[in-house]
Amino acid sequence: MKISYNWLKSYIPETPDVDKLVDIFNYHLCEMESLENMPDSDVVFDIKVLPNRAHDLLSHRGIAQELSSLFNIPFVDPILECKVPESKSTKLKIEIKTDKCRRYAGRIIKNVKVSTSPEWMIKYLESIGQRSINNIVDASNIVMYGCGQPTHAFDLDKVDGEIIIRDAKDGEKMTTLDNKEVNFKSSNIVIADSKNTLAIAGIKGGKIAEVDNNTKNIILEVANFDSTSVRKTAQALNIFTDARKRYENDLSPELVTYAMKKLSALILEMCPEAIFEEIVDVYPKKQEIKKLSFSVDRISKILGLTVSANEIKDILKRYNFEFENNNGNFEIVVPSLRLDLTIEEDMAEEIGRILGYDKVKGKVPKINFQPKQNKMYAKILWARTKLLNDGYSEIMNSTFCNNGEVEVLASASDKKFLRTNLTDGLKESLKLNQLNAPLLGMNEIKIFEIGTVFKKDKEEMHVAYGDKKEIKEMSLDEFYKKAESDTFDQDLMLRNVDHLQKHTGAAFKMWSLFPFIARDVAVWVPEGVINEDVAKIIKENMGNMIIKGPELFDEFKKGNQISYAFRLVFQSFERTLTDQEVNDIMTQITNKIKDKKTNGVGWQVR
Amino acid sequence: MEKENKKGTMHPLSILANQAYEVFSDLGFEIATGPELESEWYNFDVLNVPKDHPARDMQDTFFIKDKKDYVLRTHTTSVTARAVEQAGKEGRIPCAFISIGKIFRNEATDATHEMQFYQIDGVMIGNISDGISIAHMKGVLTHFYKKMLGDEIEIEFRPSFFPFTEPSIEVFTKFKGKWLEMGGSGMLHPNVLRNLGLDPTKVQGFAFGHGFDRIAMVKWGISDVRFLYQGDLRLNQF
Repeated sequence: MKISYNWLKSYIPETPDVDKLVDIFNYHLCEMESLENMPDSDVVFDIKVLPNRAHDLLSHRGIAQELSSLFNIPFVDPILECKVPESKSTKLKIEIKTDKCRRYAGRIIKNVKVSTSPEWMIKYLESIGQRSINNIVDASNIVMYGCGQPTHAFDLDKVDGEIIIRDAKDGEKMTTLDNKEVNFKSSNIVIADSKNTLAIAGIKGGKIAEVDNNTKNIILEVANFDSTSVRKTAQALNIFTDARKRYENDLSPELVTYAMKKLSALILEMCPEAIFEEIVDVYPKKQEIKKLSFSVDRISKILGLTVSANEIKDILKRYNFEFENNNGNFEIVVPSLRLDLTIEEDMAEEIGRILGYDKVKGKVPKINFQPKQNKMYAKILWARTKLLNDGYSEIMNSTFCNNGEVEVLASASDKKFLRTNLTDGLKESLKLNQLNAPLLGMNEIKIFEIGTVFKKDKEEMHVAYGDKKEIKEMSLDEFYKKAESDTFDQDLMLRNVDHLQKHTGAAFKMWSLFPFIARDVAVWVPEGVINEDVAKIIKENMGNMIIKGPELFDEFKKGNQISYAFRLVFQSFERTLTDQEVNDIMTQITNKIKDKKTNGVGWQVR
Repeated sequence: MEKENKKGTMHPLSILANQAYEVFSDLGFEIATGPELESEWYNFDVLNVPKDHPARDMQDTFFIKDKKDYVLRTHTTSVTARAVEQAGKEGRIPCAFISIGKIFRNEATDATHEMQFYQIDGVMIGNISDGISIAHMKGVLTHFYKKMLGDEIEIEFRPSFFPFTEPSIEVFTKFKGKWLEMGGSGMLHPNVLRNLGLDPTKVQGFAFGHGFDRIAMVKWGISDVRFLYQGDLRLNQF
């Protein structure tokens, strides 16, 4: 949700500076995802409002009320300054034919002038990334982003008879304001007149009764719909709108009164000639007033922080909660918009976040619990240790592949199946690692994976291991049973755990994305020359493109001479090396070696 | 050459998992494992994420063709939930479980997003008189992250929302001067306790589910999460 700093200021004139707000949001309310400087010294915050606070915080007014309480600064509700139009009697008829509509308020306004909006409105809307359309649509949006209540305006002259809120008929059709054809099912809720379908309730308006530049008379809609019904309908029709987002998270029907007042006042301000009729408000079942009890003791026990009754009283006052306190047992009247507050734990969260979780000091608990060994994990650990000891290295591959027995729906990737075996992945992995064998300093690639595979009716933990000759795969249980009879030493597992301590500290070294070139050099030297002496000459002449080596890979004696063979791997992080430059380095190395003599006997490059 | 028959190298996530399990075992947690293809019941419903509620959109879920009511688990909270349910049946309360396992999210991949990754999920439940609280959760997580990332790290709690916890908290650690989001946590919601066959007036406890690959990436400076699942031995550097 984008929030404009200047817009917030209209509710809380004493708002602290922007830099003070960032921490307040993050530590006491919700995450501030980003912050952008705008023209007119405005700043726009992107606030991540999660479903529990979508009832009240998807609005500037909601956020402003929070900040007013958190900072203990005055909240000025502009509704109090709203002009209230004089109203004439009305012939508007509204009929709710479904229990999915909890409240529907309508109002006819005649003689409006559709035109461009005043500059402040355009600025507010543009600051939060909304396009200005015309004064009527803009007013409706200002109310939604202002207080969180979606509203709508129909062109009265395009409406035939009364407004009916009803279940759609199977196969009923409508064209939306953005010219999308929708087909309804009977589980959808629509706004209709006696002839036509006018809107998808709570989601999107229809083309038929659209307000355009010729519109003279309008019907305002400020309504409340069942959240689940709106969500199901929008999902089925695949429509995302800001109205849907608010309704599907559930709104208080009490908000309707405020929004209607505000919307009427905005229109009156822009169209002083407009003639307002009375509000028709159908509200079959009023939202119940809820009370919530909690105790200082319980809140303290949940938080692990001693909270005093006075601290809680202070918070409740700042938040304008009506409350009673009997020796630390509180009872509050839940504000109608705070649909998230239903149980004692909710108040623990309120108190916790408002005080700040930095007040909670960590302590390590001791409980009376005897953990049992997890057999599956013990087997995995055992299998891994055994394979590592047998010289196999561990890899992990993707669970997703191109074919299999279990398919996922609507995948973001083209690999839609779950693997039925580990062998296919291991094969690919062998290929990749064999190419890199010189880089890895391995003569032979031996790898394994322990992981889950998926058959039509069950998943199973498998073990697969192999080298270029063959790959073996079996279930973890089979592997365990088979290997149990081996000479494998059970203590190895414990030793393996000790050996883990060595793994801390080192930093990951990214590999080069360019190809490497491996070269060998073998040298005959007189007896008594150690391999380090040869390696020294190589190191002095090999330049700085060596990624691995010189690594001694062969050594043997013949007569009074010894042969040492070294491997060098050349690779750059910036470019592809050429054969020629590597040849030049190798020539340099061989020349230097040929120059060497020990006791008058020359070294020879084989 | 003289290192003939040398030992194989271990995948970084296995190294880290062993270390993490060791830390939690020392704190008295029991290791839990469970299915990767999970019922919607354990993945969502038990955890107070009702059908047709926007909270289900908080995670991009893989649904399964021709297997209604099943998903690839989106968190290992399903595993610890199963373990708690079982412990409750066996009268093993207080209890504490830890589970590190592969989880799945249906989203486009890049250097910081994978469709599969690992999560570490822990839960500790005690009788009301044990008073297992947010302070205990902070103690446990601080201890854990110090063991994983070094004594100099700091830990911070910020308000959040998850359907399965109340209060809900996002955990951050400060590593090399930067605050990093590690994952969610909180006190188990009474509805979850009830769904697991426990009585929320008699027991309370905390739970957390944190990105495990994240810890590995931060600890060793691994720049791309995708390296972890490419079967490439160049990764086994530790």
